Amino acid sequence: MADRVRTYPGTRKPTPHQGHGKRNCVKILERLSAYLDDELSGDICREIRAHLGDCPNCEVFLDSLRHTVQLCQHRPSPSLSAKDRAALRRQILKGAASA
Amino acid sequence: MALQKKSRRGNDDGPAPSITTSSPFDQLYRDHVDIMYRFAYRLCGEAEAAKDLVQETFLNAYRAYDRFRGDAQVSTWLYAIASHACLRMRRKRKGEPDRELSLEEFVPTSEGEFALQIPMEGLSPQEALENKELRQILDRAIAKLPRKYRMVLVLRDMEGLSAKEVGGILGLNERAIKSRLHRARLFVRKELSAKGLAGELNRNVHTRLE
Repeated sequence: MADRVRTYPGTRKPTPHQGHGKRNCVKILERLSAYLDDELSGDICREIRAHLGDCPNCEVFLDSLRHTVQLCQHRPSPSLSAKDRAALRRQILKGAASA
Repeated sequence: MALQKKSRRGNDDGPAPSITTSSPFDQLYRDHVDIMYRFAYRLCGEAEAAKDLVQETFLNAYRAYDRFRGDAQVSTWLYAIASHACLRMRRKRKGEPDRELSLEEFVPTSEGEFALQIPMEGLSPQEALENKELRQILDRAIAKLPRKYRMVLVLRDMEGLSAKEVGGILGLNERAIKSRLHRARLFVRKELSAKGLAGELNRNVHTRLE
């Protein structure tokens, strides 16, 4: 399946290397978050999947971006101790009273 | 519903003003302080700055509660107050503007830059994050993000809000939020791809399971 190569009026000649030229890879890179977040139309998803199937570097790059997002999503965050929670409340009320 | 505001007290060293535990402020505080602390910690990267931000957030919420019209969720309203307080606190400390991130800087230029140097195959994110060194590398990468990108990454990927909600909080359209989120993710990815772990990632998991 051939990838559709985007052309911009007056900016480039048709390239014979339509599969995964660097310019095409950059176009894919621009959309990978939207791809991961399932925000793209079916046509564009198919275009990206076709490119990924043919371009191991972009496939690896997508995996690394997916892992990055998953790590961010699952990074636990420390919680406030009961003592700090009570101390903060006192400070806030004190600040509110003195405003 | 207005919060009960206490009259001015002359002696700041005295006991804290007491408000009955059923007051609207206490309800607001009790219901949201843990969420706001988690958010503040993720933005600031350390406990003391996070506590300062939580204090500033609830103080501003206390003062502005009369103007809260209830057309947004309380948590969304507090996220907005915290985000703006965070930007104000930063301006007080340092004057430099946030660096803009361009997509070009994230295009790999050599073979080794496509993959993460951290082998996560076969591990869930939770299992991988049991490794302290990985948590530190991730935290440092997020902390290095320019503030306006970090806010979007934290709100979207860590707090789990939608692009529309984040847009409402930061006063930006969804397109701008998605653009910032993508650059923020690419930035963190690049930081992670440049770092390897000293030890095996899954060693801790095996240790834990044995």
